[in-house]
Amino acid sequence: MWKLMVRRIIIMIPQIVVLSLLVFMLAKAMPGDALTGLIDPSIDPAAIEAMRERLGLNNPWYVQYWDWITRALQGDLGQSFFFKMPVADLIGQRMVNTFWLSLATLILTYLIAIPLGIVSGRYNDTLADRLITGYTYVGFAAPLFITALLMLYIFGFQFGWFPTGGSVSPGSTPGSAEYVIDKIYHLLLPALSMALITTVSTVQYLRCEIIDTKQKDFIITARAKGASEQRVYHRHILRNSLLPIAALFGYEITGLIGGTIFIENIFNYPGMGQLFLESITRRDYSVMTALVLLYGIAAIVGALISDIILSIVDPRIRIK
Amino acid sequence: MTKAMKGVLTAMLILLLTLAACSSDDSATTDDEVDDSGQDAENAGDDEEEEAEDDGLFSIDDFSNMKASEGDALEGGTITFGLVSDTAFEGTLNYNFYSGNPDAQILQWFDESFLTWDENYVYTQDGAATYETSEDGSVFTFTIRDNVNWHDGEPVTAEDWLFAHEVIGHPDYDGPRYGSDFTNIVGMDEYHNGEADTISGITILNDKQLQIEFINVTPSLVTGSIWTYPLAKHIFGDMEVADMSSSPEVREHPTGFGPFKVETIVPGESVTYVKNEDYWRGEPNLDGVILKVVNPNTVVQELQTGGVDLVSSFPVDQFPDNAEMSNVEWLGIVDRAYTYIGFKLGSWDGEKGEVVPDPDKKVADVNLRKAMWHAVDNTAVAERFYHGLRWNATTLIPPSHPEFHDETNPGITFDPEQAKQILDEAGYEDVTGDGFRETPEGEELVINFASMTGGDIAEPLARYYVQSWNNIGLNVELDMLEFNTFYDRVGQNGDDDPTLDVYMGAWSVGIDVDPTGLYGRNALFNFPRYASEENDRLLAEGVSEAAFDLEYRKEIYQQWQQLMVEEIPVFPTLYRSEVVPVNNRVQNYAIGDGTGVYLYELAVTSDQPLVAE
Repeated sequence: MWKLMVRRIIIMIPQIVVLSLLVFMLAKAMPGDALTGLIDPSIDPAAIEAMRERLGLNNPWYVQYWDWITRALQGDLGQSFFFKMPVADLIGQRMVNTFWLSLATLILTYLIAIPLGIVSGRYNDTLADRLITGYTYVGFAAPLFITALLMLYIFGFQFGWFPTGGSVSPGSTPGSAEYVIDKIYHLLLPALSMALITTVSTVQYLRCEIIDTKQKDFIITARAKGASEQRVYHRHILRNSLLPIAALFGYEITGLIGGTIFIENIFNYPGMGQLFLESITRRDYSVMTALVLLYGIAAIVGALISDIILSIVDPRIRIK
Repeated sequence: MTKAMKGVLTAMLILLLTLAACSSDDSATTDDEVDDSGQDAENAGDDEEEEAEDDGLFSIDDFSNMKASEGDALEGGTITFGLVSDTAFEGTLNYNFYSGNPDAQILQWFDESFLTWDENYVYTQDGAATYETSEDGSVFTFTIRDNVNWHDGEPVTAEDWLFAHEVIGHPDYDGPRYGSDFTNIVGMDEYHNGEADTISGITILNDKQLQIEFINVTPSLVTGSIWTYPLAKHIFGDMEVADMSSSPEVREHPTGFGPFKVETIVPGESVTYVKNEDYWRGEPNLDGVILKVVNPNTVVQELQTGGVDLVSSFPVDQFPDNAEMSNVEWLGIVDRAYTYIGFKLGSWDGEKGEVVPDPDKKVADVNLRKAMWHAVDNTAVAERFYHGLRWNATTLIPPSHPEFHDETNPGITFDPEQAKQILDEAGYEDVTGDGFRETPEGEELVINFASMTGGDIAEPLARYYVQSWNNIGLNVELDMLEFNTFYDRVGQNGDDDPTLDVYMGAWSVGIDVDPTGLYGRNALFNFPRYASEENDRLLAEGVSEAAFDLEYRKEIYQQWQQLMVEEIPVFPTLYRSEVVPVNNRVQNYAIGDGTGVYLYELAVTSDQPLVAE
């Protein structure tokens, strides 16, 4: 167990180095830089050139990369050109929002997936099952951003049940109970929008697993022993079917990263996803590279978590 | 089930279309009031959805820039201001450090300029400070009004004004403001280079009076070339210059002397204000203001539900569908901008810092350029793509500068027959019989045309121009480029792409009319790389001492506009307008410059915003 983890973590290091190199080179290959937007005759071109020089943008990419990576290793991710604040602080500010949004999404995803998956698997080929699988097909086909816009339009604007943007009402004071409730209120709709889409694969997995397990010999044995239907499903089928789902948990985290980028932009929810898109369009390199690196690490760690869970629940693949 | 599914699908399809239509908004254009010359308006060909019916044309003449007053204003009340942006605001909340337009929208509520200006962008005596000029115009004496105080009660002093200059001129300053406006102050260069500890051209006469001496005296000085924002020395005085822009005094609890005080800030998404009872013009009507960031995709819904009363801007492509919205009044102004088509006539000499015209360029023949202008029907473009909210442009000084825009100059009108005739006479004839004209020397002529991507109609628009030129027998090849690549190749760094002949861009012009920054011999942003003796002369005359005489200056700029119509280094295609909705309950509100309506007068006629029926 520990051996596996240590081994995986050691493999992670070159992965992250290669990732950082790739990210950096791709970022630099994009045309323009943070100062391109300053096409403004009132600013002396010499001043812009001086600023480029000061930011090191005129150095060859490998020099810039070395400068960046050595500082990053010391915990200094640099300064955001547009926000004029340290990248670490900026991301920290946004990460809190994204963290809560992702957590809420995960909880909602499983809250939706498990009952639907069970119903669908247990009563397969009934009307309920058809409705549920119908929903999953629509969910697979519907792009996340369309669903999010629809949800925003219907529940935010038409019914007015939810706030339509931001992470908290203007003017609330941090720390109070109302503040916390307000924050939860603000993230419900975006989290639900995302959960409705991300949940469909989990529903399908669960359904297949249950249908599969239902026909296994040990279930027939259990039935033959006279176990009640309730007991068969809860003790035998469900337990066995949930294991692969648990293993997918880590990959779920990776999926959330892509999702939050859309959701945060549609709901004007100031998290890392929104920051990421902004930093790309405006060539705020320091923010962009730091975020890609973070996302990369999150994805790698997510895969690691999945593997670990899998090795716990399924001793067959455990490395001795 | 199938029926329900159909309904869902239709709804999704409709949404997809709306999304596509509004995904590119106008947020790219940074339009800050402080800036006094040109700024790039990024989306040259932005974004209008084509409408089926032809009668849906609008005209900017039908819009007022002032909100009509209906009903009685309440005492107090709160309004919500929507900052329309698809990005979070940066939060550099001080005029001396900010750089993005979103931050300027937040700043305007709690801080302001010492000097206000009239509709011709000339400084007036109505602001928090008044000014007098010396006989020769080089020395300005400013007097700050006695009752102008910072939000913490400290008086705003001449010391604070000087301090702003010292910070911006400091080598460690990290904002974008240090430029020609500052180097034009006597002693500023020496201070900036560390040769002097003080700025010799700025003298403090007493607590409330300040004198600034300028090197070059031009009429542009009073149209935005003075730095009119103080920096509170009692707050920032002990701070390192490099740390100021990221300090909590800028980001978390900013201060100013405007009509409202910042109460709370949620970084990147909202700000609340309460009224500043001590405001120098008088106590504001409203109790407070809430500002929140609104995505351009949802701004219509926010307006309809009364979620916002006012917005910073409105995506113009969504206007035709919402022109009848019942709970708002639409205000409109002529935008300080124009779209244009430029011809590459030379290159940039980085060493000398000047343009080098090249008579061998493909489009160096003025007849060719003139024919290309004759060939395009900008009125049709404006009506088909922009519902009349943009219109045919004639000269390079847009009508947003009514004093200087020459209305009598028709530019060059749409006339393809004339275009063909000009080309025939100039020797551009089709000798190979492939349907395209060759150069007078008989060589093949392929003109490379670059345009920017962005928005749904960027490409159809560019294709329309290519088509128009094909119609007069010119072989034009289109290259659609992303913003950054586009300006790299057009030459924002001075290394122009020599294969490029024609490009479509846009400029948003500053409040000062002087076009030297865009068409001067030494201007890097003179992308056509055009220069001529006559152009140099007129541009210099326009900012000479003689030009202090308004009539003379008008005359000069009329001549310059005519020169540009004759020489055609670029030709303007469209002028633009800007429309914004205001909830019907709002009173005393106006957009644009020199309206004489100030934010402290803002009032509402009912407690709650009106909702669309």
